[in-house]
Amino acid sequence: MKRTSYASHVLKPGKYFLQGNHACIEGALIAGCRVYAGYPITPASEAMEHASRRFPQVGGRFIQMEDEIASACALIGSSWGGAKALTATSGPGFSLMQEAISFAIMSETPMVIIDIQRSGPSQGYITASQQDVMQARWGHHGDGPIIALAPSSVQDMFDLTIEAFNLSEQWRTPVFVMAEETVGHMLEPVIVPPWEEIEIIERKKPQDLGILPQDYLPWGHDVVAPMANWGEGYNVNVIGLCHLEDGNVTRYNPQINYRCVERLQKKVEENVNKISRIETQFTDGCKHLLICYGVVSRTAIEAVIEARAERGLELGYVRLITLWPFPEDELRRIVRGVDTVFIPEMNLGMMEHPIAEALRDRCRKIVSIPSIGTLHAPEYILSRIYEELT
Amino acid sequence: MYRLWVEEKYCKGCLICIDVCPKDALAPAHEMNARGYILPVEEDMTRCKGCKLCELMCPDFAIAIEEIEGNG
Amino acid sequence: MLKYLKEEGPLGPRMPLIFCPGCGAGQVLNYTLQATDRLMEKDGIRKEQFLFISGIGCSSRIASHYLNFDSAWTIHGRALAVATGALVANPAFKVIVFTGDGDTGSIGGNHFIHACRRNIDVTILCLNNDLYGMTGGQHAPTTPLGEITTTTPYGSIEAAFDLCKLAEVSGASYVARWTTAHPRQTIRSIVKGIRKRGTAFIEILAQCPVHKKMSPVSMLRMYREKTVQISKTREPAEGKIPIGEFCDLDKPEWNESYQRIIDQFRGKAKIGV
Repeated sequence: MKRTSYASHVLKPGKYFLQGNHACIEGALIAGCRVYAGYPITPASEAMEHASRRFPQVGGRFIQMEDEIASACALIGSSWGGAKALTATSGPGFSLMQEAISFAIMSETPMVIIDIQRSGPSQGYITASQQDVMQARWGHHGDGPIIALAPSSVQDMFDLTIEAFNLSEQWRTPVFVMAEETVGHMLEPVIVPPWEEIEIIERKKPQDLGILPQDYLPWGHDVVAPMANWGEGYNVNVIGLCHLEDGNVTRYNPQINYRCVERLQKKVEENVNKISRIETQFTDGCKHLLICYGVVSRTAIEAVIEARAERGLELGYVRLITLWPFPEDELRRIVRGVDTVFIPEMNLGMMEHPIAEALRDRCRKIVSIPSIGTLHAPEYILSRIYEELT
Repeated sequence: MYRLWVEEKYCKGCLICIDVCPKDALAPAHEMNARGYILPVEEDMTRCKGCKLCELMCPDFAIAIEEIEGNG
Repeated sequence: MLKYLKEEGPLGPRMPLIFCPGCGAGQVLNYTLQATDRLMEKDGIRKEQFLFISGIGCSSRIASHYLNFDSAWTIHGRALAVATGALVANPAFKVIVFTGDGDTGSIGGNHFIHACRRNIDVTILCLNNDLYGMTGGQHAPTTPLGEITTTTPYGSIEAAFDLCKLAEVSGASYVARWTTAHPRQTIRSIVKGIRKRGTAFIEILAQCPVHKKMSPVSMLRMYREKTVQISKTREPAEGKIPIGEFCDLDKPEWNESYQRIIDQFRGKAKIGV
């Protein structure tokens, strides 16, 4: 893991007052991202406009593509061309990118997509939602894992975008930052720490490991193969077909198909403990539990604190920072046995499914608290909790 | 004088080389090979002038013309 | 040209090429390698600069595991978008895109006209066989009116695209059409296209003997007879296909223009809302 040398005019350490959509761009620039390819869509357009201003200022390049499909494909080209690449979109654009995401999973291409979620389906409404969290996991065709993070504040937009780039370079997989329109449009203070304290991870290269071009296996050598970019003399053929570790695609049989797909799945699913993060409060010996993610956690924590103080309810709080791969083992380690699990979401119950799969034998009841088109007010969450428990 | 090389592993018997040869130096073999293809064989290599049009237009990189001693 | 092909990989043989006997794709690969060889020798372009990108289809199988170059075999119609991304990341690449008439004119139509509009530095080799070969001979946007294919069993009722005209009108710098029966002209055009700073679109009529149900030799003869080289006039005689160079202009290329923005605004930042 090397540090990049910071180009001029990324944010210097200090405190700034930024919009969420702008903070993620600044985080990307500090992470070393130098290519942005995107398409306008509300509520992510501010990120794109900010990128169009900032990228040339630090020597990067910005291009507005003709549609979201082209944007996602351009990310693939830029990544193999040697640059870290980014785009920001919303639900409808995210749907268009799924074929390219599938290709990125199979070819193990690092890339970061920020989804500023809005209400759906289809054009829906330009208000906040968390309705794409399942699409992030299963929207692409075929088996194959992805990584998705859920920021809950503008500071998170900055920090988690850097983490998204680190994860995508480390695991050679697409990583999504699943924000909501609320966080995208919010203005909050952001603290940029001293640059030495920010960890930046670069992709492992065969040159660094002393592997010569004639011995190089583009999808071999290790759980996460070292990645040679184009233009470095390694004659890499980037493909979406199931392949052997050397990239051969003609010796096809079902065993190769299985081996290839299984290897991709295991690369991430067997390393969940190294990838996934959750935040917990009040979970020691709690009798009930509230699990949330994204911007909902801002109001949910208020509700939890109030319920504990006002009615003495032993309510624990878990915030999923990583949505996928789903931290099932970590959750089961924390939750030994509770009575009721509350899951407030800005959708009709999506993360409820993996949570129920993980905890059904460890709780009596799971209660979903949906809110469509608007962020849950603490009072609303509280009213549902009191309705259930008292 | 030119010599004909045909890579039997790659040739698929499309016969384009025989057709484009401006000197009719090549001809199709009389029999199919083991893979079911009819390969180009020498008709009369003294006619070959080394233009290498066959090499240029082969879709499978299966034919080559080599210059050998004795070319006047 | 075998030195540019990977005959064997670490885990097994790659050759022979997968194309049908007499397929035009193999010939286009041959011509392209001739062109790149000439450029490496004459213009001093390094082998690492070449990048072969393709979409999906028979033509796109060219940029796959046979090549001893950097390459990508991407998704249907999107080769130009991937190529744009690669060039934005590294303007030094010499990108050659292998695509077909369906890959370019149908699913990739949007990316095609925008790549030409932006005039990015890419050389597009569009292998036109008037149909979708890989999937079994369905009709394509370039299938002539009235032709019978597997999805037009009663004859096609749709007019066909002229991809060269589309490229020219969209803003490409260099547009040409040749056939696999014109090797030297094709190679010369590919060299010119790669040398051109901007989008070069070269349509190559490439035979599909299997779906057209003709022998490769008769298809090449047909290409020689049915085409006429344009010199002054664009409109051919009835039933003839015009081939030749349709336009050859010098226009600002995308990366060149963007570099001016970077040079002017780098290091000048105003942070905040």
